[in-house]
Amino acid sequence: MTLEAVPESLRGELSRWLIEVQPGVYVGNASALVRDLLWDKAVGHTRRGRCTQVYRASNEQGFVIRTHGDATRRVVSLDGYQLVAVRNARHAELAQEYDPPEDDDKL
Amino acid sequence: MTDPTSIPPTSNAIIWQRQNLRELPKFRDGTTYLYLDHTRLEQDGRGVRAYHPEGMVTIPAASLSVLLLGPGCSVSHEAVKALSDTGCSLLWVGEEGVRLYASGLGETRSAARLQRQALLWANPQSRLRVVRQMYAMRFPEGLPPDLTLQQIRGREGARVRDAYARYSRAHGVKWDTRQYKQQDWNRATPVNKAVSAGNACLYGLAHAAILSMGYSPALGFVHTGKMLSFVYDVADLYKLEVVLPVAFREAATPGDDLERRVRTGLRDHMTRLRLLERMAADLLHLLGGDDPDPEPMAPGDLWDPEGNAAGGVNHAGHDS
Repeated sequence: MTLEAVPESLRGELSRWLIEVQPGVYVGNASALVRDLLWDKAVGHTRRGRCTQVYRASNEQGFVIRTHGDATRRVVSLDGYQLVAVRNARHAELAQEYDPPEDDDKL
Repeated sequence: MTDPTSIPPTSNAIIWQRQNLRELPKFRDGTTYLYLDHTRLEQDGRGVRAYHPEGMVTIPAASLSVLLLGPGCSVSHEAVKALSDTGCSLLWVGEEGVRLYASGLGETRSAARLQRQALLWANPQSRLRVVRQMYAMRFPEGLPPDLTLQQIRGREGARVRDAYARYSRAHGVKWDTRQYKQQDWNRATPVNKAVSAGNACLYGLAHAAILSMGYSPALGFVHTGKMLSFVYDVADLYKLEVVLPVAFREAATPGDDLERRVRTGLRDHMTRLRLLERMAADLLHLLGGDDPDPEPMAPGDLWDPEGNAAGGVNHAGHDS
């Protein structure tokens, strides 16, 4: 899990379960239940910060990504293949050129 | 004369060596496929970026086997170069990946396996042996050795018919006949669409396996005469086991987005079946080819009936 700009108490809570290998980067081997509880805690206490969680799964990539709190980056699933989509200035500029089909505008 | 300002500043950039093919994950370890449409692919730094309607995504090209490019895609020259360096096969496909238009080059630089495939293909006896082996792989109980090719085809036909009937019963989806009419795609039955979408993925993957391992997609053993004959051969080995369960299951589920659901379901199913690993192993088993890769930059040999002569050497002294 990674945390960015979140309250100090949330960091403390995570460090009780996981190892902080770098500031804001937490690694550990937790059960599915603990992992989901930690995620709920992180999402509930992030306020204006950001958090991500990556955990092992029996899919083709071998892991699942979930993110919270970052409006420009979000996880997209392309036919079951998870990638992170960034909506930056360059994307906005090019989006006008390649003209995505209309039904994608709803997204 | 020397202008001191022309001295280039000391650069801190990392000098990347030419891609070492050995450091790439082998085909069997990679992930299967990614389908993109209305996307613009560009190279950025050392990576490949895709400007997708959802946002900019970086493509994990080195671990990806096939990139399926649908309508509305444009690719820059540098992006194709980066993809080919990492051995990611590019396939240009129709909407929802149901038709295959064109393909790029795989990652092998040696022709040894292709030559062995051509030898096996050109000799009627060895070709028949490979054909029998391919059919035998589909019958776990084995095939009696005295069957003629016609009899084998009869059994294969019965096996295919039974499989369709079995899945039709299991999922409660009515099955009439396989429709291939690509012209009126929208009038095909849902299950036919599902099977076609699934087959397109499987063809793409078989194509990538063949190219990536250094064989030719055109020299088919069972199929013949098409540029993709060998792709159909390889795909047929797995089609019923891989595509039908997913296609019938998704066709039985109500809702839109049938083709997309088939592709998603297929990914999980292929992972469970360890399909990439099996394709690689089966191709080597059928056609052989475990020679060590030659030095990729070394010049190729020159053919001689007495045995190959070294290439990259001037043979002018030998004309007397």
